[in-house]
Amino acid sequence: MKTRIFVGFIVMMFVFVTPLSANGKVDIQKYFNDTANKVKATENAAEKREILNESFQNLSKALEKVENMGLVSNENRDVFDQFKNNLQEKQDELAGNNGYERIPDSQLNNFSNYVVQDMEQALSISLVALLLIIILVILLI
Amino acid sequence: MQNSHRQSTFHIYIACVGLMVFCSLLFSSCAQLPIQNYSQVLKENEHAPIYSIVCIVHGDNNYIYHDTTGNKLSADKETITQIIRVAQQNQNAEVFIFHQKPASNFLLFFPTKDGDFYYYRNGQLIANESYWRDQKESQLNPELELFNSYSADNKSEMKKIFLYFGHQIPEYGGEGYDESYPERTFTVSDLATGLINFLGDSEKFDMSILSTCYGGTPFTIDKLGALSKIIIASPENLHLSYFDLAPLEQLDEKLRIGNNISFAKNFAQNAFDKLTMNVQTSVSIAIYDVDSTKQYLNEIRMSYTNTLTNLKLQFQTFPSIVKQCDCAELPSYLLPQMNKGVTIFYRPARFGRLKNKQNHSGWECWKYDAKITNIR
Repeated sequence: MKTRIFVGFIVMMFVFVTPLSANGKVDIQKYFNDTANKVKATENAAEKREILNESFQNLSKALEKVENMGLVSNENRDVFDQFKNNLQEKQDELAGNNGYERIPDSQLNNFSNYVVQDMEQALSISLVALLLIIILVILLI
Repeated sequence: MQNSHRQSTFHIYIACVGLMVFCSLLFSSCAQLPIQNYSQVLKENEHAPIYSIVCIVHGDNNYIYHDTTGNKLSADKETITQIIRVAQQNQNAEVFIFHQKPASNFLLFFPTKDGDFYYYRNGQLIANESYWRDQKESQLNPELELFNSYSADNKSEMKKIFLYFGHQIPEYGGEGYDESYPERTFTVSDLATGLINFLGDSEKFDMSILSTCYGGTPFTIDKLGALSKIIIASPENLHLSYFDLAPLEQLDEKLRIGNNISFAKNFAQNAFDKLTMNVQTSVSIAIYDVDSTKQYLNEIRMSYTNTLTNLKLQFQTFPSIVKQCDCAELPSYLLPQMNKGVTIFYRPARFGRLKNKQNHSGWECWKYDAKITNIR
């Protein structure tokens, strides 16, 4: 009994001490990084395009869902909209809509890196709403 | 029987608490290991350093980024590795490194120190200890205390370089800069106020390198220009992989007396080449020869200050209405002398709306839509 309590205590100590570094921002970054890795892993341009498109659409759906559930506070509204617009711009650029030239097939790998890097810069500031979004993204995928 | 069981449980409890306290003491003592006997090392290295580098690496927020092969990296830790290499390579320099880390607890209840300090002199590690950062206002007081404890006596004769790595330093507000201390504020003015004390008898740093997003604004250069002869900064976003520090590794070869501007150009060109090779977003690195920029800064100071005052009053809770742009896009800032004293290395983003923008003035300003303001 004593041994069990003692071992249990030691195990608890290490469990609690493990740093909980994961957060929404990091998960969003991972999401785009995984997409870029998939894009670069395939040779076929149509598949690359499909992977990127699907990734944008999944996230857009998640954003809509968050919005419809009324989870975006007034305080976070502008930051949320800014993120949503940023995502829409990337979708438009990929497809060549809204005044954008369609991304050439030869540039899709670079474009996937651009998305990762641009999102990393955008997420450098505190986006509290995204902590909620990421939960939904994970549920959708 | 029951008494004996209670006694045993009590003993286990005491033993556990004792173990926690022991671990806590062990943990905190590990953080303060004097690497070498300070005076002994100084005797062995009798020549006084001729360069002094103060480097602050902010790591208390999200500093995760991915390289082009998809590896997850932590910008602050990568920077610490680079600056330690700089410190080891320079046989005539003293290097102060402050790593501002997130707050954390040991065993849930015991707060651990949230700063790491390294002091190198003539290529050797003299001290490495943990410290407590400012808990309220952030004006670098604990860092200054460590600086004063170790810095060489010949401060006024040394070439001084200041390096800062972190996210954009706010020009107003400043709450939330530290993820661990959301209430604490840190602004450009706080940095400037804190830095004055690192100068000792000297009037200015020979060079300051701001490895942050949006460091090249009139306000930031004006404030930090009071403390530095030359500033290298990015007027736009700067990717978290930051400026490459390799040119700082051989200061004796590359930074000769009176050659600060050419060294700054060499540093900026190298950083620009490295970033443009790996980054698809825009890359902008500017060198500000502070004295030469004064005329322009004097002309626009009033206008910029008014904008900042408006931002403070109106936009604290609506940050996305406020955007930053090249000052050259705003008529009131587009003056003939705006390029004086500024050398800019610029490449637009490979994608996005601004991919065809070919030039940048080197100055970044605020813009906001007045119509939106009225609606709100």
